[in-house]
Amino acid sequence: MPVYVDISRCIGCRSCEVACKRVHGGKGHVNVHMAGDHASVPVFCHHCEEATCTMACFTGALYKDGERTAFDVEKCTGCGLCRLACPFGVVWSDKIAHKCDLCAGRETPTCILSCPANALSTDFELASRRARTRAAMAAAHGGRR
Amino acid sequence: MIKVDVNKCLGCFSCSNVCPSQNITRTETPETRSVHWKKCKEECDLCVEFCPAKALTLVPFDEGSPETTVTYDLMACKICGERYATEPMLKRIESSLPENLQKDSTGLDWIWICPVCRRNIEAERATKQMVLGRTRKSP
Repeated sequence: MPVYVDISRCIGCRSCEVACKRVHGGKGHVNVHMAGDHASVPVFCHHCEEATCTMACFTGALYKDGERTAFDVEKCTGCGLCRLACPFGVVWSDKIAHKCDLCAGRETPTCILSCPANALSTDFELASRRARTRAAMAAAHGGRR
Repeated sequence: MIKVDVNKCLGCFSCSNVCPSQNITRTETPETRSVHWKKCKEECDLCVEFCPAKALTLVPFDEGSPETTVTYDLMACKICGERYATEPMLKRIESSLPENLQKDSTGLDWIWICPVCRRNIEAERATKQMVLGRTRKSP
């Protein structure tokens, strides 16, 4: 259950980035990137099925817990191998690793709750459902989507 | 006392992180990183246990033996040139991942690219279609 982005809604405000930092003691896991002047997107942990960070972790601090790629801070030695093993560059480490835990202990990840544009959700289908609705509206009313 | 097999060491700082007595120190510059093992009399093997490369062993204390320092030149990112990791660490990642996961869908060897460029590539990939749509002139 990773967090999915409806990119067409992202306004690049970095609220998710700030919210993530706030609940994780200043060590955030979201990076909002701008694509020129036309788009922005938060880049965060995909909770990969075949998670390369868990394969590189030699202490078992990173492990698959169902769909989640979970992290056990007690086992982490801060070696930084996970940072180098993440294809999306979203795991990082100082003296311990920092990665998205989908806000363990909270019902909904805080990035989702704080997004003013409703661009984030845990519903994979949401973005495509919205796109279909927009297409249907456009077809019904004529004009540009 | 700690004995270091410098050929096995990755330069990851795991030992330095877990050492409770600050006997393993680190030095970082934008181009290099060094690990220095002081002569240590502790009866503690945390560093030995938590070395990912099994490069450390405990040996009896010997006043005469010199202290070890290992220095690594950091590898430069293939895209931006920023130095981001030691070569043994990247080689270790290569050997711990199955081959089909070492290249992305475009055939890119992402291991040899720094995390910032990896994020940029991901952001570009994710927004590409939409940017095309938004920059298209209206009919």
